[in-house]
Amino acid sequence: MKVRSLMVVDDSMVFRNRIARLATDQRLAGVKVVALAENGMDAIEQAKLHKPDFVTMDLTMPVMDGPACLEALRTVLPEARVLVVSALSDRATALKAMTKGAHGFLLKPFSDEQLVDSLQELMV
Amino acid sequence: MTTSRLKVEDIKIFSDAAMAFFSQTTGHKAAVRTAYMLGSEETVVWNDFQGRIDLSGHYRGSVTFSAPRGLLTHVLLTMGESSYTDASHRDIVGEITNQMSGYARRHFGESMDISPPRVITQGEDVTPPGFNAAPFVIPMLWDRYEAHLVVRMGKAGGL
Repeated sequence: MKVRSLMVVDDSMVFRNRIARLATDQRLAGVKVVALAENGMDAIEQAKLHKPDFVTMDLTMPVMDGPACLEALRTVLPEARVLVVSALSDRATALKAMTKGAHGFLLKPFSDEQLVDSLQELMV
Repeated sequence: MTTSRLKVEDIKIFSDAAMAFFSQTTGHKAAVRTAYMLGSEETVVWNDFQGRIDLSGHYRGSVTFSAPRGLLTHVLLTMGESSYTDASHRDIVGEITNQMSGYARRHFGESMDISPPRVITQGEDVTPPGFNAAPFVIPMLWDRYEAHLVVRMGKAGGL
């Protein structure tokens, strides 16, 4: 089975841990969490190091926010598929994330099932 | 709970956000109890941890979510978290405040500027400068714990 590597980017430690834990759900066979990043700058460094296939990305973060990180990742990690996971829910925010390279959008707060479903869709 | 300055749905948006957090994140719904207005002699509600956003634009003021340690520990436990440090408790309060910020942005649109959520400590002044409208307190019950949402809001120029 091909290992699908995932990087989780969120300034909330609790949410990083939660997403990482749910990503190893049995419905998501073969997913390995290779990096946890707490801001956009950290994510870029870890992306260069671990080259994850998939990324979950918060939008509101210190140091470097999600939209800026999405733009940078297009150069560093052009093949990665990105799921934005954010409490910012207006149409303009979602559209902006998509134009910057996101492949999906999951609104916080989310249930365990919603996250697993979104990751499944991202990894199809 | 209506004033001439503020519509009930403008305040309800914040309790809706907190309710959604509990329901989606833990699988257990919170209940909103009867809201009340704090008197001038008791302008502060303090639990162990509080997160706050400041509002400006069409409305100005602040919204604070205040919760006891036990509630947050239980939330962490329900989420499968194994760390129960002060940092993880502050983290959860920040996330709940972040949800309120997201809901408010969607509800008020560009008519309101919302500061980044921040966790505040006891002793910090919770009243926005020049703001003297009495705060609404919305008690919320989750499991056996009570948290409080403190909403200080008024239309800009009407204070």
